Parts: sequence; structure tokens; C-alpha cells
Amino acid sequence: MNDITKFSVSDLNLFYGSFQALKNINMDIYKGKITAFIGPSGCGKSTFLKTINRMNDLIEGVTINGTVTLDGVDIYKEMDAISLRTRVGMVFQQPNPFPMSIYDNVAYGPRIHGIRKKSTLDEIVEKSLRQAAIWDEVKDKLKKSAQAISGGQQQRICIARTLAIEPEVILMDEPTSALDPISTLKIEDLASELKKDYTIIIVTHNMQQAGRISDKTAFFLTGEVIEYGDTEQIFNKPSNKKTEDYITGRFG
Amino acid sequence: MNNAGKEKMVTENAAIGNQAVGNQKDYKDLVFRTIFLLCALLSVLSVIAIITFVFTKGLKPFFGENAYSFSDFITGLKWDPGKEVYGIFYMIVGSIIATLGAIMLGVPIGLMTAVFIAEIAPKKMVAIIRPAIELLAGIPSVIYGAFGLGVIVQLIKKVSPTGQGESLLAVICVLTIMILPTIITLSESSLRAVPKSYREASYGLGASKIQTIFKSVVPAARSGILSATVLGIGRALGETMAVMMIAGNNIGGLPGSLWDKIRPLTSNISMEMSYASGRHQDMLFATGVVLFLFILVINLLLIKITSKVGAQGTKN
Amino acid sequence: MKNNQRKFKDGILQGLIYASTSVTIGILIIIIGFVLYKGLPGVNYNFLTRMWDSQTTIVDIDRNSVTGGSAEENYVESLGITIALDDGYIIIKDIKKDSPVENALNIKKVPYELKEKDVIAKADSTTFRDITAEEAVEVLNEGTGAIRLKVTRPGGGIVPMVISTVYIILLTLMIAAPIGICAAIYLNEYAKPGKVLNVIRFAIQNLAGIPSIIYGLFGMLVFVQNFKMQYSILAGGLTLSIMLLPTIISTTEETLKEVPNVYRQGSMGLGATKLQTISKIILPSALPGILVAIILSIGRIVGESAALIWTAGTVAQIPTALVGSEAGAATLTTKMYWLIKESADLESATSIAVVLLALVILLNLLSKIITKRFLRNRTGN
Repeated sequence: MNDITKFSVSDLNLFYGSFQALKNINMDIYKGKITAFIGPSGCGKSTFLKTINRMNDLIEGVTINGTVTLDGVDIYKEMDAISLRTRVGMVFQQPNPFPMSIYDNVAYGPRIHGIRKKSTLDEIVEKSLRQAAIWDEVKDKLKKSAQAISGGQQQRICIARTLAIEPEVILMDEPTSALDPISTLKIEDLASELKKDYTIIIVTHNMQQAGRISDKTAFFLTGEVIEYGDTEQIFNKPSNKKTEDYITGRFG
Repeated sequence: MNNAGKEKMVTENAAIGNQAVGNQKDYKDLVFRTIFLLCALLSVLSVIAIITFVFTKGLKPFFGENAYSFSDFITGLKWDPGKEVYGIFYMIVGSIIATLGAIMLGVPIGLMTAVFIAEIAPKKMVAIIRPAIELLAGIPSVIYGAFGLGVIVQLIKKVSPTGQGESLLAVICVLTIMILPTIITLSESSLRAVPKSYREASYGLGASKIQTIFKSVVPAARSGILSATVLGIGRALGETMAVMMIAGNNIGGLPGSLWDKIRPLTSNISMEMSYASGRHQDMLFATGVVLFLFILVINLLLIKITSKVGAQGTKN
Repeated sequence: MKNNQRKFKDGILQGLIYASTSVTIGILIIIIGFVLYKGLPGVNYNFLTRMWDSQTTIVDIDRNSVTGGSAEENYVESLGITIALDDGYIIIKDIKKDSPVENALNIKKVPYELKEKDVIAKADSTTFRDITAEEAVEVLNEGTGAIRLKVTRPGGGIVPMVISTVYIILLTLMIAAPIGICAAIYLNEYAKPGKVLNVIRFAIQNLAGIPSIIYGLFGMLVFVQNFKMQYSILAGGLTLSIMLLPTIISTTEETLKEVPNVYRQGSMGLGATKLQTISKIILPSALPGILVAIILSIGRIVGESAALIWTAGTVAQIPTALVGSEAGAATLTTKMYWLIKESADLESATSIAVVLLALVILLNLLSKIITKRFLRNRTGN
């Protein structure tokens, strides 16, 4: 009803050379929601995520056809990858802080987009770290290497780093797969908090996680979207037999 | 592959994709990309320039008026610029024999040392030996020449029937020493690259450590050892300064024994380059061309071996 | 029985392994021992601090009585120096504070401060030959005011070669390092498999295999003769730059390969351009490796002779220009070669070898330290 479409994907196919990794994807992703992509390994969920901010451009021999629009604008034809990626931030599977200080990590995005003023940068860094719920833990060691803190903290630094470019959408590619349960919960709380201001798409292996935090869920299998709908519906009364098998743990 | 009406987008890479939009950032990216490419192409240009210039000058004496017979040059057994006699066959023979000798001594010694470092020596010992070998690799060839002149030549003088220290034997000794680091480091890394499973399998069949090394590990590393050998050949053939000081550099005649003087191709160039002019200088370049051709063959061989090794590596 | 045979075979092979390793290490020890034994006696303060050729200059000095050392033997009060007879020559033994010889001017009125161990060959019109120190003191103290001295500063030192070596290192790296690093960036970050890449790789591999004597021929023909640079540090630097390209490119490329891909993705994911990613993330991460590449190159330059003798020459002078006759320069290594070949002076040559060995060991240590710290950082994550 009051769902506003952020991304609209139609007839999307993706090939690695001659291997078809995504088959005929049609999907609308809504603003201010958390959308979860679930499915077994190699089902295409991460590939699809990377299509949304054109990270697949970096891979050799990828062919994509179909359309993906962001707020109605075609991201492959009417937008360049750089400005797309500043609107659609990404958090990766492995925490990947750069080998520099916490401050410089978070300020990296603003700096490459031309912000030089120290006071402005300070403000952005603090705001982003607060939003990522890690400010209190690192405020005294901003000049310390971002690689010298725990994995969970590193991942939140990476989230802060993404927030600092003020994106509209945040893509999270299995952001907790390398983290311990406590850090995982912290990231999940953070995601639920962030959904007020951002549209979030999360790829996860962990079905409980999808159930806990997402509003919408899409189930992928061998490059196809088997079922897409409200999380409650997918988890409680899936309409497709394959979805049900996966949810109930009968395979995968 | 794609249905009619569907837009096909081939995203070859980000840079080209961005270029279409053409904002300033992308323009800058393109400029730098071009600079990087030009720098990379400079090495191609260098190879072409080296070949062109050296060959043009080196082939000059064999063409045009008053041309020197190429077959006299390549089969000649005497080098006497004062009499306009330029024969380099005995130099080619000298270079090849000296190189072969160095390989025959250097490869077994180097391989055995590599086996010691990679398979037998305790870690603490490796920590001493490896820097020693790196140092051996870093010593300038002039110092090897001085060492050859001050030690090896003196020793040979004492036992040689000719009473001369500068000889084929001296050259072989010094070249052997000089190629050792190359052989050792490359062999060692290829020995280390042999998967553990090979060793385990061999031990599992009741083989001893030494048997495992020589029957299982060394054969598995043979392409690496081969490329080390070829690289060693290139080094030995191209070595100039050390060799020149100890070869004797006779003006003619094939070497008959290890005690005889030789005049390797590289020596021939470096002996006379500082004062040669005219045809004499051209002839030194011609010697360079012959040397270059040998090296080119070795390079091609090496590239072929290493690319094969690389292909194997990706397959596994 | 069979087992014994096996043990016997194993024993022989093991013996060969130990023997080979001993030979390798033994050779190194003998070489170092030889160089030190023959060369070390010649390495002293003078050898390290003097010019190569002795230098004779005529200077004017305004005499001015200095009383600081009047108690000492052979003290020249009017010049504030003590002199001594050394091997038939009158040398300056000691210079007092505020001595007028500190303000000596040569004929062109350029300051030329006299130093201890300078030989005084002539004072005004008196040639100092077959003269005792006492007589010389008298001559030098004769009259007042200006005195004109002919002074010979003894040579036999390696200062010009050290400076020339440094110049050639700097020049070569200034040319080759940026080009090599940029080429490596292209190969690792931009190039896609295909014909262009194959051709470039083929060229680099070939370049790496060409012996330095061929580089020497090329450099002499093109830079020295065709470009009329004469024997000069620029001709030498350009020749060495081409020779070092493969080393710099492949070592840099190796380090670029080691930069984790997640850094690239992370940066691109934040909307950075490729160029920003390279300059802000990749190059800083690869810096230690690039440094090692540069140290390796310095080692090669220090040790190079065949490619330099016919491009930079073998004159022991401090170059004052990039091209032309003032720019010719012998490095430590080329001078060592020259000493052996042209003057059969193995002693002085090995003294230079001592310095070269020390340099090589220093460079090896430096690259070791950088690699170690770099590796520790990496595994620390």
C-alpha cells in the first residue's frame, strides 16, 4: 500500500561466460524495508546482490541482460557505476577494513568524494560510527589501526564506512558469516535500527537471521527466484514446495 | 542467448562503462590508464630498439661494398683486427664449452644444496644458509673476476702443464660459482612447491627420506629445475666481466684441453670495445648479434618451459 | 641384504648433499676471505675520504700571526700550522684554530681551504725539494703579508666513485622506478588477457634475459653516440633504466598481486574510481614490496659494470653535468674493473671490493628487514 519501489528488476539474466548464473529474475525491492535473500550456496543470491550495485562489472567475461532500475532510472544504461555505488553502499562477507586507522577508514569515502575539511570529516566520522553503534567502543582509538580490533567491531567499522558516503541503499553480503554469535546479534540489531533511514538488502545463509530481521524474503535456487514475499508468509506458509523443503531444513 | 527486445549489456569493465558518462573523474581515469599502458609498452619498445640498433650495426659489415664474408666470420678461427681478420668460430666453441662445463658442475651442486635447504636442514640452519646464498647472488661480477684472477688462476697456474692460469678451466670454475645462486634459489622454490601428499605417499610405501627426495620430490620438481638450468645457461653465456679477466683471450685457435686459453664471445666485445672504431667496432657488434641470437633461443626456451609450468599449476 | 644396500645408497646421496652444501658455503667464505685479506689493508681513512687523483692547486694566503702552537716542533707562526717532512715532501701536519690557511683562495679567488696532509710543493719562488722541515718553516715565515703556495692534495681515495655511484643510482631510479611501477599497475590492475598483454609479457621476459654487455653495446650506440651524450651519467642511467625495468616491473607486480582483493572491492563499493582505489589503497599497501624492488635495483646498479663502462666511462671524477665530458663518471664497480684490467692493480681493486661487499650486505639486510616487518604486518591480521 504505502510500499514505495526502490529497485525494480525485470527479465534479468546473467552469464559467466556460457554459464547462466541468474535466470529471468523479476523483482521489486521496497524502500525502508529489509529484504533478505536466502538459498543454498551457489544459488545466485550473492551474484544478484552484486548486480544491484554493478560490482559484477569488475569480473571478467560477465554478460548481463535485462533491466535494473533505481528510482525508475536504469542503472546499467543511464547511470555510471561510480555514482551508483555511492548511492548503493555495500558491506562484504569478510570484514575488509583498509590497512589504515579507524578514522581514515570511515573518512575514506567522503574524502574520495571530495570532502577535505577536517571539521566536516570529523562530524561525518562521528555520526557514522554512532549510527553503526560502535562509537563508544572506538572513540578513544580512532587513530589506531582498524585491523587491530575484533572481527565484529571491524564489520561495524565497515558498516560505518558505508554509512559515511550516505547511501540510500545498503547491500549486505552475508555480513555475519565470519562473526561470533554475540557480534552477529549486534549487527542484526544495527540492521533493524538502520532500516528507519535506509533500504537494506541482506544475503544470508542463516534462516533464523532472515526470519528475525527481514520484512521481505526471496528464496533463490539454481539461479532462479523460487518465491518472493513477506517474510512471515515465506516462513509460515510458503506456497512453493521447494521453499518449504528448504525452510524446514529438508535440504540445503 | 538473449531474446528479442531484450537489451544486451556487455559490461567489459568498469572503466569503459564509466567512460560513456564522461564526467571528469572518468576522464582522469582514462588519462592515467593510458599513461600506465604506455609505461608497459615501453618495455616492448626497448626490446625492439635494442634488436634494431644492435642488429643494424652488427650486420653492416656483411653487406654492401667491400663486404666481409659472413661465412668467414662465423667459421673463422682467428681474430686479428689489425690484419682485418675477424673469425669467431673458436669463440663460439669456447663460450659453449665453458657454459656446458659450468652447467655440468653447477646444476648437481646447486640442486644438492637446494635439496639440503628445502628438505633436510633444520629451520635455524636455513636461516643462515639462505642469506649466504642471497649474498652470493648479490656479489658483483667484477668481484668474482678479481677472485678468479687472485685465487683460481693462481691455483691453476701451479698445476697446469702449460704454466698458464688463465684457461678454460678457470672460466668453468668461476661460471660454476656464479650460476650456483640462480640454480639453488629456483630449485629450492620448486622443491618447496611439491605438495606434501607426494612425500606422504612415498613414506607410506616404506621409502626412506633420501629415497622420497630423489624418487618422488625431485622428479615432481623437474620442470622448475629445468628452468633453473636454462636460466643458468643464459647467465653463463652472457657473463662478461668476470670471464674476461680469467679466460686468457687468445687471438685464435680452438681449445684442445681444459688448460687452454679461450676467448668467449662476451670477452671479445669487452676486450676491445673501448678503442675499436669503424669496421672493427661493427665486428664487435656482430659478435654481439651472435651472442644475442644464442640468448634469444635460450629466452624462448625458458618462456616455453615456464609457461608450461604455469599451465600445470593452474590445472592442479 | 636389500636393506643394507638401500642404506648404502642413501648414505652416498646424503654425503653428496652435505658435500655440495659445504662447497657452496665454503666458496662464499673463501671469496669474502680473499677480498678481506687482500683488500682490507688498503681500506683506511684516506681511502674513504680522499679524491682519486691527486690535485695540485696554487693558493694565496694572507699571513697573520697565530700563536696557538708556538711550543710545537716546526710550527709556522705566520700560517698557524705545523709542518713535517714525510717521504721527502713537506706536508701540513696540523692546522691551528683561526689559521689563515682556512681562508686560502685559489687563482680564481675561490676559497680553497687547506687541509692536514696537504703537500706544500712550492712557496712563492722556493720549490720545496730536498729541504728539511726547519728550512721550510723559515721560508714560510719569511716576510709578511700575502704568500703564494703550490699545494698538492694527495689522492688515492674513492670519494668520486662513491658520489658517482650515488648519482647514477638516483638518476636510474628516477627514470626506471616510476615507469616500472606504472607498468606493473597496468599489468596487474588494468590489463586483460589477450594479445597486448602477451606481447608485453614476452618483451619483459626477453628484456630480463639479455646480458648486460648487450645493454652496454646498445647504450653506447644510441645514447653515447647517436644522442651525442658522450660517456655520461645520463647515458649510463638511461641504459641501466632499461635493464632494470623487468626487475622493477615483476617485483612490483608480485606485491600488487598480494594486496587482498577485498580492499579493491571495499573501495569500489564505496564509489571510488579505479584510480582512487589504486592511489589510496593499493599503492600504500604495496609500498614495502615496491621498496624491496627498489633496493634490489640499487644492488644491481652498484654491481653493474658491463652496461656502464661504455656508457658512463671510467673517469674518476665527480660529475657536474648530466651529459658531456663533465658528466663522465666511474662507479665503484667500473673503477674496480678498470684497476684490474688497465693497471693490473689487484690490491686497490680488492679494497674497492671490500666497500662493495659491505654495500651489498647492507642492501641485503635492508630488504630482509623490510620484508620481515611487512610479512609480520600481514600475518598480524
